[in-house]
Amino acid sequence: MADIAVGTPLAAPLPRQRTLLVGTVFGTAATLMYFAALLGVYLRERADALSGGGEWIPSGANIQLAPPTVAAWTMLMSVVTMQWAVYSIARDDRTHAIMATALTTLFGLSVVVTTSFQYTEMGLVADESIAAVLIYAISGSHLVMIAIGLVFLLLMAFRALAGQYSSRQTDGFVAASIYWYAVVFVYVVIWTAIFVLK
Amino acid sequence: MTLTESRPEAEAVAAGDDVRPATQSSAPQWTPPTGLARFLSTGDHLTIGQLYVVFSLVLTGLALTLGMLIGIEQADIDGGFGVFSNANEVFQVFGLYRTTLILCGLVPLFLGLATALIPRQLDASSVAFPRAAAAAFWTWLVGAVTHIVATFSYGGLGSIQAGAAREQSVELTVLSLALIGVGLLVGSGVVFTTLVTQRPAGMDLLQMPAFSWSMLVATGVWLFSLPVLLANLVISWVDMRGANALGFGGGGAPFEQVAWAFDAPQVFAWTIPLLGIAAEVFTAAHRSSPKMFEPMAFIVGAFGFFSFGAWAQSFFDSPDPNAVDAHIVTNEVLFTAFALAIALMVAAYGGWLAFNAYSAGQRPQITPQFALVTVSGALLTAAAAAGVLRVAEPALGVLREADDDIWRGFFDAMDDLEASSLVNGMMNLAILGGLLAAVAGLFHWAPRLLGRTLNAPLGFLSVLPLAGGAILVGATDVLSGFFDQPRRPFETAGIGQIDALGFVEALNVIGLIGYIAVLGGLALVALNVARSLMLPASTEADQGEDA
Repeated sequence: MADIAVGTPLAAPLPRQRTLLVGTVFGTAATLMYFAALLGVYLRERADALSGGGEWIPSGANIQLAPPTVAAWTMLMSVVTMQWAVYSIARDDRTHAIMATALTTLFGLSVVVTTSFQYTEMGLVADESIAAVLIYAISGSHLVMIAIGLVFLLLMAFRALAGQYSSRQTDGFVAASIYWYAVVFVYVVIWTAIFVLK
Repeated sequence: MTLTESRPEAEAVAAGDDVRPATQSSAPQWTPPTGLARFLSTGDHLTIGQLYVVFSLVLTGLALTLGMLIGIEQADIDGGFGVFSNANEVFQVFGLYRTTLILCGLVPLFLGLATALIPRQLDASSVAFPRAAAAAFWTWLVGAVTHIVATFSYGGLGSIQAGAAREQSVELTVLSLALIGVGLLVGSGVVFTTLVTQRPAGMDLLQMPAFSWSMLVATGVWLFSLPVLLANLVISWVDMRGANALGFGGGGAPFEQVAWAFDAPQVFAWTIPLLGIAAEVFTAAHRSSPKMFEPMAFIVGAFGFFSFGAWAQSFFDSPDPNAVDAHIVTNEVLFTAFALAIALMVAAYGGWLAFNAYSAGQRPQITPQFALVTVSGALLTAAAAAGVLRVAEPALGVLREADDDIWRGFFDAMDDLEASSLVNGMMNLAILGGLLAAVAGLFHWAPRLLGRTLNAPLGFLSVLPLAGGAILVGATDVLSGFFDQPRRPFETAGIGQIDALGFVEALNVIGLIGYIAVLGGLALVALNVARSLMLPASTEADQGEDA
């Protein structure tokens, strides 16, 4: 009777399916579409108001360029720290990955603070002009987008602390970075369309 | 035989050995929840799919009841209000009929079929994010129930009469519709990610079954449509937060914001999976596999592309009719071209089905699902034709820019169609066509979905009211559109414009009979499902769609 061959190595596992990455790309694309719609409405209304010879931003409002510009630069700096986190985790440098994620989170929080500060200074009242309604809808939605991004980043950081991500498995960090780059991109568009063009 | 390694635990248990470690002998064992708790806590894709199907069919029944109420109101157009007490109530139910039929009925029905079946079609163990799929379902269901309750609590998507609606209820209606959108978006993301990542090694996208391919296209188009719907709703809601709504949240504006979702071309985007179900049922009835799959995949993809309609909002038009870019979106070449392209794609798809029927070389096996997809294909074709008539006026505008007197008598009859009930007919034809295809899918995949086959004679009995009713509902609206019946029944000012009022009222009565018939057909389908579930599971359950 022949022996059963036991202890033979198992077949190599199939390549990982990158589910989180694809799911995040789907979610990010949906988010970008959401902002495209909001900004499309904003620019359409603005063009109508200005072509009629009227004003767009109410004369009593005080929309300064400095706070959003600071926020835009902060967002751009967070791109560097986010990529630093991805770079570090891909090289098993968990300490730097966590540090970079913490810095990105800090930058994100500072943009939330800057936007909140600007809300108190703008003097825009939602029921006084269409511009105010749209500015609050767009910037408020972006604050929600930042909040989701921060939760995503913290989740990935905690999972990295637990040892789930390494050079063999970077999907979580790459997914979080894709979403975060979208957060930054949207803010730069908002900065241009709302605060620079006014 | 010589054993050189200890047996796996399962094998040892089967052999009667006690393999439990001593330290765990007293530990409580986890038992899966049963009864209601099983449904509330499930992450199983099949159960989630079943829940989607059951609740979306119930909500479709509710939507058709609302349509029936509007039908009763329209049976006597010039006799004042009958079922409803004022124009605002008609407006509320008119909006609720659309949101319920499409976003609480058809789309989740397709998502339910996809959530249950696609992992099996791909030979995957589950969907990509099972917990997200469950969260999507519950989000959608909570949103749907809240939406209906809020609308009936003097809410609705705005108000066309001062003081006729409660502001808080209107806000809740808007927010709950956003919740529905979020649920459907997450559900779409789960299906899309499953299709992209869970395929077995060696299966590329074009080797997927036709239904899977159509769901990939559908969820891709919904990915770009639903966020726009959400953006519209958020703008309305923010506007309502002020003391006085300015333009997006006041009056009937919230409905106008989302009206594009129920009009051409977007209305066709909700029906994309119809094409996949039709392909699978049709080829199975001919006992063959799909031939020339790539052209079909291209046609479905192109149909999806041209049915994307989030851009076609009257909202993007300039308010100044004399502006250079006035009505640049909804009234010009692009709008016309998309409708023509959709009709072309539907015709091409029909050609592909005909080619497959011819290639099979044998008569089809007549089953309830085959009858249903045949009628649903006819309904989609009729809807696409109505879509072409829907854009006749913009198309004529383009032609008249070249020659103002071109075929004046002939084309003048088509001038007002875009403001007539033809648009409602187009929507009903397309959506009810999708509903019939989904029911066909239910019959086709019942062994996989329910573990049992559905009764064929009872199925044939339900085909007649479903198909006949859907044709009556859609065709009567299309026909009365030619007699200038207004598109929106709450706009009573248009009643005086109706030609042959008595004939239009007769058509509306026939349409009402259609609603009753479709409801009856759905009840028969529910009866069929209940009957099958009460019988023991058949051995055919493992035979998949061959059963």
